[in-house]
Amino acid sequence: MEYEMDMEPTGPQVTVREAEPYRVDFRLSSIDLAFANSLRRTILAEVPTMALDLIEIESNTSVLADEMLAHRLGMIPLNAKNCDQMDYTRDCDCEDHCVRCSVTLSLHARCGNGIMTVYARDLAVQGERMNDTIGDPVITDAEGKGAIICKLRKGQEIKLTCLAKKGTAKEHAKWAPTSAVGFEYDPHNNLKHVDYWYEQDAAKEWPISENAAWEPAANPDQPFDYDAEPNTYYFDVESIGNLEPDMIIQQGITVLQEKLATTISVLSGEGEDGHVGGVEDADMMGGADPDAYEPPEGMDGHLTAYGNGAAGAWGASAQTPYGATPYGQGAYGF
Amino acid sequence: MPASVHSQEPQEADQSMIDAEPEVDPIMLEEKRVVVLPGSSETSASFQFENEGHTMGNALRYAIMKNPAVEFCGYTIPIPLTPRCTFAFRQLVSLTKWNGWRSCSLPRTPRYTTTALEALEKGFSDLMDLCDVVTEKFTDARDQFNEENSNRMQS
Repeated sequence: MEYEMDMEPTGPQVTVREAEPYRVDFRLSSIDLAFANSLRRTILAEVPTMALDLIEIESNTSVLADEMLAHRLGMIPLNAKNCDQMDYTRDCDCEDHCVRCSVTLSLHARCGNGIMTVYARDLAVQGERMNDTIGDPVITDAEGKGAIICKLRKGQEIKLTCLAKKGTAKEHAKWAPTSAVGFEYDPHNNLKHVDYWYEQDAAKEWPISENAAWEPAANPDQPFDYDAEPNTYYFDVESIGNLEPDMIIQQGITVLQEKLATTISVLSGEGEDGHVGGVEDADMMGGADPDAYEPPEGMDGHLTAYGNGAAGAWGASAQTPYGATPYGQGAYGF
Repeated sequence: MPASVHSQEPQEADQSMIDAEPEVDPIMLEEKRVVVLPGSSETSASFQFENEGHTMGNALRYAIMKNPAVEFCGYTIPIPLTPRCTFAFRQLVSLTKWNGWRSCSLPRTPRYTTTALEALEKGFSDLMDLCDVVTEKFTDARDQFNEENSNRMQS
């Protein structure tokens, strides 16, 4: 079977094509599109990182509004290595926040004369934290300044305390570990998943990507292979410095596995008695013989949301906010 | 082709999709993370997962469909615009692996080789194994790349 064919003998293949401190470019092959896309999605949105989430402004006499300042602070990438040691604040046992679920940073800048530029490096970690690096602002430029937070004129001051929390980009993009994830498959468009717009000739007007060198184009004389499926995926993961690119990918897979694991544990927890929470018995219609199929009795009973029984949420007796039954006086609510 | 099974089983599934208002008859399991929707039988069932989307849905659907004992598996996110983290997706697992139909002398009883729940669990464990393999392959490839590059730098 196909199942054995592309799972067992070869298995997924990974080739790292380029690796830089903040970037990794790799080729993933012998795997299905669904999985490759899941990996892309988890890397983009579900790898946990650290970001400033709560800003307490004691003094802000700069030209920026408090909200603007808080927003800018939130966007500053913070070191998130080993942030699996941290808890999400919402899951933590503590009253408000604690060392296990947050890192406190403070910023105090006052301009004596001229114009002072406040950089991310001016954020100082206060108190304890789970490890030595977590929550440090990411500084990648040669001067070691980091991102600009704001500029101050003579006499202006900002003084604030910030709380960095663990989160994912699903909640807010500031927790994104990547600035971009390049994802491509079938650069020659052999599978015809893309229908190019063109004026005269699509082949001339659309440049072929660099990845095209990694696989052959289909022979135009051959008939279209409608059974072909995508097999090779080109990832280009660009980190913003809070996690190493290879950690992002490993974390991405781990996140996916955690999703599966929690569901498996729920399923196996209920599966111990051999039934899904007893529901099978209650609902099984016609026993094991599918020929004895009958429409679910609940069509007008407790099983359906649309039934006309008293329990039916949309039953005929239901009044709409406009006084009448939704659609006339018919037996069914719909 | 056995029209009875073919036409009725998906219909049954469709029905449960429409009827399934989680509030109406929810079979609550641990934190309602997995709900078996009404209208499910042992070999054809719909499951609803809370707080999941295409990330797990599509990969899982694919993994389940890879199982030769599964006839059909699909998923949907019924209301895409519901607020973050409250949407659910439903996994329809309908299983009919029959041996009896083609040789008509046999009694018309399809033989199921697996149940919907088993297939779902197998899908999960297959996907889990796949994740392990990819992690392993990725770390290998990365180490190999680093090794080659450090060699190149030295020479």
